[in-house]
Amino acid sequence: MSGVLGANSVLVQAMLVNLLLALSLQIPLRSGVFSFAGLGSYGLGAYTAAIVVLRFDHPALLALAEGVLLSGLVGVLLARLLRRLNGLYLGMASIAYGGILAVVVANGGALTGGAEGLYGVVADLGLTEITVIVLLVVVAVALSERGRTGRAVAAVREDPELAAAMGVDVARVRFVVLVAGCMVGGLAGGINAIMLTNVAPTDFGFHLAVLGLTMIIVGGARTWLGALVGAAIFTWLPIALQALGDWRTVVYGCLVAAVAVWAPHGLIGLAGQAVRAVRRSASRRKPPGPGAGRAPTGAAEVDLLAGEGVGASVGRPM
Amino acid sequence: MTVLELDDVAVHFGGVRAVDGVSLRVEPGRIYGLLGPNGSGKSTLLAAVSGLVPLTRGSITYAGLSARRHSPAEVARSGVARTFQTVRLLADLTVLENVLLGTDRPGRFRAARRGRARAQRAAAMDALTRVGLDGSADRRPAELSYGMQRRVEIARAIAMSPHLLLLDEPVAGMNREERAEVRDVLCTLRGEGLTQLLVEHDVQMITDTCDEVVAMNSGTVIARGDPDDVVREPAVREAYLGKRWGRRADGG
Amino acid sequence: MAHDLLNLLVLWSVYLLFALGMSVVWGSIGVLNFAHGATFMFSAFTGHLISTRLDLGVVPTVLLCLLVGAGLAVVAHFLIVEPVLRATPNVAAAELRVLIASIGVAAVLLAIAQTATRSAPFGFAPVAVPLIEVAGVRISLIQLLIIALGLGVSLGVAVLMRTSRFGIALRGIGLDPETASLMGVDRTRLAAAVMGVAGALAGLAGALLTYHLGSIVPETGDLMVIKAFAAIVLGGLGNVYGVILGTFVLAVAETAVLTYTPGTWVDAVSFGLILLVLLVRPHGLLGRAEVRRT
Repeated sequence: MSGVLGANSVLVQAMLVNLLLALSLQIPLRSGVFSFAGLGSYGLGAYTAAIVVLRFDHPALLALAEGVLLSGLVGVLLARLLRRLNGLYLGMASIAYGGILAVVVANGGALTGGAEGLYGVVADLGLTEITVIVLLVVVAVALSERGRTGRAVAAVREDPELAAAMGVDVARVRFVVLVAGCMVGGLAGGINAIMLTNVAPTDFGFHLAVLGLTMIIVGGARTWLGALVGAAIFTWLPIALQALGDWRTVVYGCLVAAVAVWAPHGLIGLAGQAVRAVRRSASRRKPPGPGAGRAPTGAAEVDLLAGEGVGASVGRPM
Repeated sequence: MTVLELDDVAVHFGGVRAVDGVSLRVEPGRIYGLLGPNGSGKSTLLAAVSGLVPLTRGSITYAGLSARRHSPAEVARSGVARTFQTVRLLADLTVLENVLLGTDRPGRFRAARRGRARAQRAAAMDALTRVGLDGSADRRPAELSYGMQRRVEIARAIAMSPHLLLLDEPVAGMNREERAEVRDVLCTLRGEGLTQLLVEHDVQMITDTCDEVVAMNSGTVIARGDPDDVVREPAVREAYLGKRWGRRADGG
Repeated sequence: MAHDLLNLLVLWSVYLLFALGMSVVWGSIGVLNFAHGATFMFSAFTGHLISTRLDLGVVPTVLLCLLVGAGLAVVAHFLIVEPVLRATPNVAAAELRVLIASIGVAAVLLAIAQTATRSAPFGFAPVAVPLIEVAGVRISLIQLLIIALGLGVSLGVAVLMRTSRFGIALRGIGLDPETASLMGVDRTRLAAAVMGVAGALAGLAGALLTYHLGSIVPETGDLMVIKAFAAIVLGGLGNVYGVILGTFVLAVAETAVLTYTPGTWVDAVSFGLILLVLLVRPHGLLGRAEVRRT
């Protein structure tokens, strides 16, 4: 029994790291902030943890904390520098952060191990501790999706001007989510470094970006559940598709493209749509209650309009 | 105390003088109408009042605070709510959640943490009931008719518990009954002491609802006073109908 | 010295051809096609497969890559861009979905090439390249071809975009079918044509670079997208002269870094340029200060 757990524990750990990676991208994205600084932070957190363990023999949790802190500080700097950027430009600038960091560590000499990276990063970090840490992060994210914060985040994403008209401090929300994304990314990198006992510049390059994006696109970019689904799929799918060998990446690419075209809110989005469709057909069989629209056009018309067609006129920012 | 005061407000966009010297005093508990044809500057004026565009000249004073530029968030937090010309509801939230967004206004509830969520929900449902949509609380905006969506917007603005309500053509696209309902809601709110500024180019709505009307054209005020008088002013008719027809309608 | 200058010109020409395609699509249809780099690489890869098997010469190989590039782009257009446009009325959301889908396409093409070549470099059938001498400098005909094509095609595109009806129609098209139809233009065909031209340019650039370097690796494609983005942003979006300037600065910077520092810093140049431009002057050197499409 413990043999099975042992074999799977590596996968579970990998999934937890992937989950954090996905969340580091999702947290800013949910507020409409296209920051991929979580990827660069992954590298920063990984190298920080590795260096303090190798040089100062810091315990695992401390090393992780240092990685998170440094990622957060750089995140604050980035947020200040990039505050006027939006969308694609912000995305590319934040990717450039990771790109430059990769080149810097590859040229970092003895400190960073150069192109080879660092080996022998040995510190005590068990599955239990990792699970607890990730659980705390997930709970925090989940809470931020509900109530007042959740509504503010949705408003900032969909219609920042409206959010401001409701009294939301849009700039502050965008700042906070960018830094939070960086910190979670740093945490993911740090855990991974200790788990694998090594880091290298290639750890956080293009393929990490694709993995991260793939997870939240396929899983769903709006909620932590999507990140979880995405992380689960892309941790276990490689195992399931082992027979395909190197052609697995082809499958991933097709999956991403297909989902982007046909199910932009990912699997969670599809699930949500399905649930709503079931609920709608259930409520259609009940007669509408009082005040369900004293529209003189007749309450019956309300149901006829329950469809996607009217959606085009709603919430489209000018 | 004056709720809102505009002093020689001007908003220029490059060469375009959208608003060119408007002064206005809004007293508490009354409904003011901003009347004018398209392009008269009334929507821009509203945007300036809600902090969305900077002033080129003049000042806007809200119940004691004055500045050349307030951010929209500051304006909102000080108790000014508005609706928009186009429906701006969040498609991913339910109707109730959209209205709850209004109750999220910082400073609205100073209640303890525990009771807050419940108080917010009650306030949101109250606002929805006022516009007659409490039964649609759990629907998505996409499922509602255009007129209903606009009413949700009004509910959201009311839910902010403002002391000044700005409405940008609130009944556009509504049928006669819906307009009457909205008019009733606004009048009831006035009865409760809520000051309102209504931008409209529907003359009927203006005369039915407003205590005082300011008519604009080409960025300036061309008439002000009692609604029935203002709509009969030759200058106002000309603005709407053009010189030829304006004179005709005047009985000339 | 002359040798370095020559290499610089060659590098510039390749970047220019590639970036032009990307810029034209981005500036007109509004789509940032991440698969542009994969098109570049995959055309060269296809060229590799066929030219080595059939022992093709330079001209047929180049033409082949050009056609493959155009074909890939047009297919991608009808497979990805059109369905997304039909499903999303909101232009901003559509642009995002197309971008993400193009990343997927790029990943697919990259994976295929990586698997087939096991990530090893690949090139074309060897050809004997005559050298000629110009003003005491020895230039290979390939280099001459690249420079001539690079500059010639770019100037051609620049003129086309500014003066022809096609070019002018393109400039305002965007993803909004209404605008296009108001201009009396069949948006679908125009968009597909633009994608095709861009793909051809990518394929051309891929072939030329492969001949210049002798071989490329599958990862080169995605790297090119980053470089092109840096060049376009530096020069200013929506401006052909901006692309010409941006790619020139990029080529100079990279060559300088390669010459005066250990070569491992080269990749940082494009990232550094991106950050610098976006921080200091987001609309680039020659771009217009407004139209900031997100």
